Amino acid sequence: MNGAQHILQTFQQHSIATVFGYPGGCIMPLYDALVGDVSVEHVLCRHEQGCALAADGYARASGNLGVCIATSGPGATNLITGVANAFQDSVPLLVITGQVPSELIGTDAFQETDVLGMTLGIVKHSYLVDDADSLPGILIEAITLAQSGRPGPVWIDIPKDILLTQVNPETADHEGCEHSESTEPRTDSATHNAAIDKGINETLRLLREARQPLLYSGGGITLAGAEDSFREFAEHSALPGVVTLKGIGNPGRHNPNHLGMLGMHGCRAANRAVDECDLLLVFGARLDDRATGKPETFAPNAKIIHIDADSAEFNKIKAAAVTINANLNDVLRALTREVQAQPLNIEAWQKQCRTWLTTGGFQAADNEEALAPITGPAFVRQLSRIAGDDTIISCDVGQHQMWVAQHYQFNHPRQHLTSGGLGTMGFGLPAAIGAQFAKPGTAVINVAGDGSFMMNAQELATIRRYRLPLKIIILDNQCLGMVRQQQELFYGNRESHINLDDNPDFVAMARAFDIPALHINRTDQIRRGIETIFAYKGPMLLHVAIAREENVWPTVKPGGSNRDMMENTKPAKKKTEENAA
Amino acid sequence: MSQAITSSITTSGTTISNRHVLHCRMQSEPAGLERLCRVVRVRGFRIAGMSVESSGEHFDIALTLEGSRPISMLQSQLLKLHTVGEVVLGAQQARSVA
Repeated sequence: MNGAQHILQTFQQHSIATVFGYPGGCIMPLYDALVGDVSVEHVLCRHEQGCALAADGYARASGNLGVCIATSGPGATNLITGVANAFQDSVPLLVITGQVPSELIGTDAFQETDVLGMTLGIVKHSYLVDDADSLPGILIEAITLAQSGRPGPVWIDIPKDILLTQVNPETADHEGCEHSESTEPRTDSATHNAAIDKGINETLRLLREARQPLLYSGGGITLAGAEDSFREFAEHSALPGVVTLKGIGNPGRHNPNHLGMLGMHGCRAANRAVDECDLLLVFGARLDDRATGKPETFAPNAKIIHIDADSAEFNKIKAAAVTINANLNDVLRALTREVQAQPLNIEAWQKQCRTWLTTGGFQAADNEEALAPITGPAFVRQLSRIAGDDTIISCDVGQHQMWVAQHYQFNHPRQHLTSGGLGTMGFGLPAAIGAQFAKPGTAVINVAGDGSFMMNAQELATIRRYRLPLKIIILDNQCLGMVRQQQELFYGNRESHINLDDNPDFVAMARAFDIPALHINRTDQIRRGIETIFAYKGPMLLHVAIAREENVWPTVKPGGSNRDMMENTKPAKKKTEENAA
Repeated sequence: MSQAITSSITTSGTTISNRHVLHCRMQSEPAGLERLCRVVRVRGFRIAGMSVESSGEHFDIALTLEGSRPISMLQSQLLKLHTVGEVVLGAQQARSVA
């Protein structure tokens, strides 16, 4: 068995059934091993970035490891954006690239790049395999490492000759892999457990002292598989709560104390509650700048309790009164037992938060003018009402991404695939492809903007090849809307290179890939448009022309304080008239 | 009550840079030292001195660093590197003013 065949055997042994890849010179031995192999489904995307982002979407939707494969040189460099995306959002990815043969490394050979060197900053760990006997141990270690602790991408760069060298796993060298099972904090376990107990006791003491405590949760809840224990704690504590972009869906649709997303495009109720709270319980979040705004004015009256699997996030942006480096499930269950036994006394605060939610939530009214141009929020609200509870929405990046975050009612965080950390335009379509492979029986929708869609539009060919039933919705405002919005608000309305009014005919484009499509542009067409694409059994594209001048509201000036969030100052009717003119 | 972690300490517009010594032990691997140095740079510190000794399968590295951010934040980030086993802070050196 050569190195390439051993990789496939390892995939099978670790239940890796789907991989996303693109062949080329130095990875050819692995593609040769795939001939006749029935244990692994290889999905051929049309660009390596599509492979990486599809593997990312697969991992986000399923909770399992995503795997992508490419060749050396441009194959590897094309993966980089997708891998950086996974790194920023802590997505478990195994990346395998071919490298030029060992004796050619360092000779500037054809399609040679220093993959190990250029990817150091976007991986959890990486390897350049220099000995065939080390390959089995490295593979096992990489698979474990990518999924353990705080997940992330692990990259293995394998010279072509090693893929062709005979490997005997029985005699293979597993040295150098002593950390493979080391997923726990590197401290004595008794000491660590005592620290956790102390942190929980301190948390309870502060929680009982607080008059205005607030729950703040992020993507770490899902990464820890702690959705159920989080919901139990939220329910039994009855704490008002806010979520980050990646925490959307944590509390489910029906928690009466949930205030919504905070931050730059968060709702006024959520930001107000953070501003007024006297205790902030942060679970599985890194307090990133889009959520906190100006750190000095974030939660100015609150003591912070920070609970996370990654202790490097503690005290990075805001000093915390208590930090707990632990499995979130363990902490949430312990806290739930305590608040069940002795409920919190925070009725006045709950009532205040509900009042804020009534007046400052994302509950804008639908436009009742049938012939009016479609707005992003109106469309997303309709989509949310019509789509099923389990539907997966894969967004791109920009205004439409924020409208989905604000107005779609998610039942579970794994339904919401969004590029939070890196903000990768072009994420949505390949991520939706990955999600559809992970969840073949589930409805998957890519909600894209016209700018983002064109970043990875080549993946329409992948949808056609595999006849994936996913739906594509393009909210087309014929410009880079989020950039236009910031130019309007913060750069004296000087538009600079944001115009996309020469977009292709998206309906014709989809049809060229044998994907049926339709176009709508009026409010009274929204429902029928959505129902039509849902009713169709195969892939379908809905092109939605929306108003160009629509902004995402509220918004916070970059670097500004959340308390200074700006509201829409233009009357909607006036905008409609401007649009018609 | 809560405090933002500032990225620099300023007194009348002057950035005060602290000097620290970190002792790191990491597995010997092809890109090990590059990984370490990259994290130091990205997290806001400058390497003023560095010595490396190889002892079997490990590197023992002494880093003399300058920077205005809390050194504990860098320690936490270095410990996240898979091949770093320990990071120990040596005696703090005299502060320098840039």
